[in-house]
Order: sequence, then C-alpha cells, then structure tokens
Amino acid sequence: MDRLYYTPKEVAEILRISDDAVLDLIGRHEIPALRVSARIIRIPVAGFDAWRDGRRPLRRRVRIADASEPKRPKIGDGERLPERALGLRR
Amino acid sequence: MIEATTDELLGYLADVIEYAERYGAIVAPPYDAPEVEWTREGECLAMDIEIRPPVGRRARVDITLAERWRPIGADRWELDEYSYELRDFVLDYRRAFHQHDREDFVRFFGVATHEHCESVRGRPTCDHYAGVPCRDARDGLERLYVIWTAGAKPDCSQMRCIED
Repeated sequence: MDRLYYTPKEVAEILRISDDAVLDLIGRHEIPALRVSARIIRIPVAGFDAWRDGRRPLRRRVRIADASEPKRPKIGDGERLPERALGLRR
Repeated sequence: MIEATTDELLGYLADVIEYAERYGAIVAPPYDAPEVEWTREGECLAMDIEIRPPVGRRARVDITLAERWRPIGADRWELDEYSYELRDFVLDYRRAFHQHDREDFVRFFGVATHEHCESVRGRPTCDHYAGVPCRDARDGLERLYVIWTAGAKPDCSQMRCIED
C-alpha cells in the first residue's frame, strides 16, 4: 500500500525546514494535519501534496433547496435498534 | 456545533467540504459543484456528503457525512441526527459514529450516541459500541481519517459493547 501520511519530521525533511517550523505551519492551519493524540500528528500525503502545489479548495456557495430526489434513507435505517436488541416493544 | 442559525449552517457546509478537500479527498457529486445545498426534508435540513479519500484506481474507500437538523425556533436549528461512516472495501472494514433514535438509546443504554465497528464488513460482533460524541462533521471526518490512515483493520475488541 502507498504511504497515506507523513510525520511532521518527514515533512520537515521534504521542505528542508525545522520540525518546529512544520509544527508552526500546522498550528496556523497551513499544512493539513490530523491529531491522533496529544503527541502524534499525521499529515495526509495527498493533502500535503496539494498544499505544496498551491492547490487550495474552492469555497462553495451554499443554499437551501427542496428535496428533488426520492426521500433518502433515514439515518440509522437497517440498524438493529435498542428496542429490538433487547426484545422490548413500547 | 449543536445549535446554529441558518447563516451558520450555510457556512458550516462550506467549511466541511473545504476541510475534506484540504486532506486531499475527492468530494462526490453533487457537492463537488461551485454551489451546494442543504436539502429541505419536511421541517428539517439534511446534509449527505460522500467523500473518497485518495487511493489507487482499483481501491475504494468511502466516507459519508450525513446530518439532520431540526428547527427549534425562529432561525434556530438543532443537530438532531448524524452519521459519519467509513467503509474500506480493500481492507474490508467499517467504522461509524452515529447519533439517531436518541430517546431510545438514552432510555435503554444510557448513551445518546454510539459507534459501529466491523473488522469484516457486514459481520459485527456487537451492534452498538460506546464512544465519544463527535463535535461536528469536521471532527467526525478527522477521526475517520485517523482510522483510515492507520492502513489496517480496526481492533473492535478494544471497544466497549453497550449491549453487554
């Protein structure tokens, strides 16, 4: 499987900057990063590549529209719900 | 975000899509367009975003982010339900964070939210696991991305089954 993420140290080596500079870029939400725990940060490879190439997401315009398609499945549809899980019925 | 104004919800949807694309993910239609929509379903507003993390051409990984917001007053909305899901068709597992049928879950299990974990898709060893509620879709997406980037099946045996 291809690499899915870099560590901050690997990104520092790629960019030839210090580890602290990478953490600063992450802290300023420049480099996209995932905080796995208080001490572990992952930088998704595709997100990093896009950032390094200067590709930035397009900010969408948003509106509210009436549903034009058939109603979507309800959230949790098909799931065994508590009543059934416990053999209870209200 | 549990309550929001209409304007805040409009900005929030744009934020969620932007967030996903910052990670290098591909947002599936119709949310890949310059203009996107909250869908009105009855009184509620619904979001159903499908995201594909960047993987090889033959691999397939889906992340879906779904929410339903219900009106609670003039220009006020409350997050009523959410479903943030990851399905990895290569490693064949599923992870999900859910909030729905809240009254029933609180009454029977004492939790408002739950999680799903299937180390083999479609073969859960427990129907509902305890978990930490997601703050919003960005939080759900980040947590699912952490699971996906681990590059391995999740260890569901480490989670607490709420039906025990």
